[in-house]
Amino acid sequence: MRATKRLPNLATAIVLAALVVLPFIVPATLASQIAIFATGALSVAILLGAVGLLSFGQGLYLGIGAYVCGILVRDAGMGLLSALLMATLSGAVLAGLLGSVIVRRHGVYFVMLTLAFAQMGYFAVLAFKGVTGGENGLSGLPRQFDLLGLSIADPLSMYGFMAGAFFLVFLLVQRVIASPFGSVLAAIRENESRSEALGYPVSRYKTAAVALAGAIAGLAGGLHVIFLGFVPPSDIELEMSQRLLVIALIGGIGSPGGALVGSAFYTIVSETLSEIWPRWLALIALLLIGLVLFLPGGLWSVGRRISALFERNTTHD
Amino acid sequence: MMDRRRILTGMAVAPLALAAPGIIRRANAESVLDVAAVYSLSGTFANVGAGLNDGSKWAFEQYGSAAGNKLNYVLLDDRGDAGEAVRKVQEAMTQRGIKHVIGCTNSAIALAVQKEVYARKGIYVNEAGADEVTGKDCNKASFRWPVACYSAVNATVRPLIDKFPNAKRWYTITGQYVFGDSLLSNCKDVFKEKGIEHVGNSYHSLSDREYSGYIATALSQNPDVLAICNFGNQTVDVVRQAISYGMKRNTKILAVWSTGLDQFQALGPENCEDVYFGANFWHGVDTPGGRRVAEIVKQKTGDVPNYLQACGYAVSQMLIEGINKANSTDIPAIVKALEGLSYEGPTGTEKIRPEDHQVVKDYYLMLGKAKSAMKDKNDLCDVVAATKALPPPEKTGCQMAASL
Amino acid sequence: MSTQLLLFQVLNGVGIGMIYFLLSVGLTLIFGLMRFVNFAHGAFYLAAAYIAYAVVLWTGSFWWALLLGPAFVAILALAIERLLLRHTYSLPHEAQILITFAVALFIQEVVILLFTPLGHNVPVPAALSGVLFLGPYVYPAYRLAVVGAAVLVAIVLWIAIERTKMGSILRAGSESAEMVSLLGINVDRVFMATFALGAALAGFAGVLVAPLRGVEPFMSAEALGIAFVVVVVGGLGTLSGALVGGILIGLVQSIMSTLWPEGAQLMIYAAMALVILVRPTGLLGRI
Repeated sequence: MRATKRLPNLATAIVLAALVVLPFIVPATLASQIAIFATGALSVAILLGAVGLLSFGQGLYLGIGAYVCGILVRDAGMGLLSALLMATLSGAVLAGLLGSVIVRRHGVYFVMLTLAFAQMGYFAVLAFKGVTGGENGLSGLPRQFDLLGLSIADPLSMYGFMAGAFFLVFLLVQRVIASPFGSVLAAIRENESRSEALGYPVSRYKTAAVALAGAIAGLAGGLHVIFLGFVPPSDIELEMSQRLLVIALIGGIGSPGGALVGSAFYTIVSETLSEIWPRWLALIALLLIGLVLFLPGGLWSVGRRISALFERNTTHD
Repeated sequence: MMDRRRILTGMAVAPLALAAPGIIRRANAESVLDVAAVYSLSGTFANVGAGLNDGSKWAFEQYGSAAGNKLNYVLLDDRGDAGEAVRKVQEAMTQRGIKHVIGCTNSAIALAVQKEVYARKGIYVNEAGADEVTGKDCNKASFRWPVACYSAVNATVRPLIDKFPNAKRWYTITGQYVFGDSLLSNCKDVFKEKGIEHVGNSYHSLSDREYSGYIATALSQNPDVLAICNFGNQTVDVVRQAISYGMKRNTKILAVWSTGLDQFQALGPENCEDVYFGANFWHGVDTPGGRRVAEIVKQKTGDVPNYLQACGYAVSQMLIEGINKANSTDIPAIVKALEGLSYEGPTGTEKIRPEDHQVVKDYYLMLGKAKSAMKDKNDLCDVVAATKALPPPEKTGCQMAASL
Repeated sequence: MSTQLLLFQVLNGVGIGMIYFLLSVGLTLIFGLMRFVNFAHGAFYLAAAYIAYAVVLWTGSFWWALLLGPAFVAILALAIERLLLRHTYSLPHEAQILITFAVALFIQEVVILLFTPLGHNVPVPAALSGVLFLGPYVYPAYRLAVVGAAVLVAIVLWIAIERTKMGSILRAGSESAEMVSLLGINVDRVFMATFALGAALAGFAGVLVAPLRGVEPFMSAEALGIAFVVVVVGGLGTLSGALVGGILIGLVQSIMSTLWPEGAQLMIYAAMALVILVRPTGLLGRI
């Protein structure tokens, strides 16, 4: 992800506009889902785009966040914001712990490690079925949540909450990328050995990035659970990690706005296609191939190319 | 060349013309009842979802209407994702005003949707296998057709013990997940009561595919019977691998929970022969209700109904019968009508228990037959016993509200 | 656990391990030369298994399936390499992972489209059905045959890699693809051939395992998972690594199935993580 001066404002405006318009284009419940998975995809995008780390296992942190939030809300009677905070923290802590060891490895080894830990998380959830409900998931969560006294039970207010959460995370990610911390991450992405030679504790920066990504994924998991009113075991399955990765790639990892674009695209396409053709995943697969080969910046980069065209035109005068 | 005025009038009239048939239709039509059906047509459970969906849909076609309302089948494809199922049900109930919901492809989806529908004051009929659906997670709005672990075990293990009184040594291979554990604990209860020697149990996990280790352990105990307590592909895999190790020579094999025909076909007659299976439905059992199912399935596929189609049909049927008895689409009225309702279902006369909304029906013990004894390609097993074995309502853990 | 049972679990574990070796060797060869992890490995296994199902259904001959399955998959792999992978060698490694991942997804959906999502049985070839009595033990004849085939593949591959010119090019290419091209050898062709060979091996495994497990569309995920664990533990890129890794994982699985079956899967992935952290080249790898 590159931090440029003009684009963040434009990107922010576009994302804000999209969030406002979304519930008018699609049903509010679908819009909530889009916002939640956009948040999850941000955790993939920030790792891959900002630091160049491909994670096949963000679903692990999303799942942890989901189960933590679900258990706290149901059994400890915790309120909305505190439960979400705990979900975020649990994602951050787990990611920080695992990350401190995972980042020692590079390239394909890093990827395989994320995979291995994701699988371990899934089997652990099944193993502790007394706590997690095993293959049945965790149901019986309260359905009424109050945010500062206002209920968010109806679909539109729920969406407002989800969109707000996503927007906050989006702004956070933008800030992080534009910050000195983000510059170091970019330097590590471009040339890790040189950054190391310059004296930066590369492992610590990478671990921090992994922890941040874990926090975002944990939050997404908590949001998902609040939205659904139960914890589906699929939240911690490998398929979730793959889904987040696909969404991030489709949208484009070069900019945090890509997560929203990717989530909207994937959700709407799968929703409409699945009714016509149950094998819609084949088309998503083809799309992915096309993206990798021809449009590695994802759909967001289409916007960037268009705006680059504009810039070129204006500077001609 | 058309002049402008005619084009403009044409454009003004066109929408009216398009709407006219609708307006006319609506004026003459009876009211339409939208019923949401929650099934997975893609994802890991696509095979199960597709069959169930067919059964439910065809039941709607066959019945046509209920209490004067034309039935409209609204499929909600959850793509195998429980979260998606809940979201789609939320959307259908809040934004399309649908209150009648049927179907589920697996228990996680059923348990989640059950809570959602109850919270939004709808009615839900499903075909999940987990005990909790009419057990500790039961609610006034939900009804379930297939019988669950207690029934499956008692309807298969007891008759087998009676049939082979000298087969005292039983070994179990169990899936170490909620459903498998439930089958196992029910087995243990029966073993204790009947003085069976439970010589050992091997747990396997949800994603296991290699069972040679467990089979070896089982073989080392020289059991008289091997009881398999799991579901789905894992049942088929364990049976297949156990047979490949020659277990059939000295041991009876019982697959406590099977979906019948499609699994028998997956195994093939050589594997099915002399193996005992439990099943919620079998097309070979001739009953008035079964004939109705067979009729519509034959019309659509030219073949006999398998469990999935029958199960899907049954949940539709339950809802429709309830609406007919209540003569209304009002939810509390349907719930009241369904409690204690007796009707001709796919396995014969079936009754809905008011205490936990579980259907009281037969569960079959079946025995695979030799290829030479098969009358046609579907005649893979014979029914050896048909039992209605349900847990007493106080034991299910179900605590239902007095009213909706 | 009695010693007899323990001994059986050990032998059974070695047998499973050889099957896992067969499953994984294609992956390790591709990684050794081309330096990326072929996420479509499981899909090749899947495609060949289904071809075996179809061929046996139509012709009744398992031997034809054994020939056609790997052959078809090799051709498929060639096409994928030519048309898609070729363009990603200059891109970061994620590109190859993502493309092969997408290809795997596509193949899986096509299989479901053609064969429905239901699982199917593939009958064991009649000549190999039945069990063998080895002392106090019973062992299915077909399973023994598969283990035998795995051993054969190991031997043939070893000879091919260590003793033939093609093999030496492969070994040299694993050390340095650049050097090999400087020596005038067409690295493109070597890549292509290796990818096809890796796929064919996965396909061969798929056909052989089909009568043991039946075929169903999601068997690719399981195969990929096993292959990953085996090659990581044994050592990415070497034949002996796949062999040692396979046998080790097979043993762990077999013994754990009596001690703590639920933990077996957990332990296997934990082993994988541990190896990557402590000794990423695996037990026998040499990157």
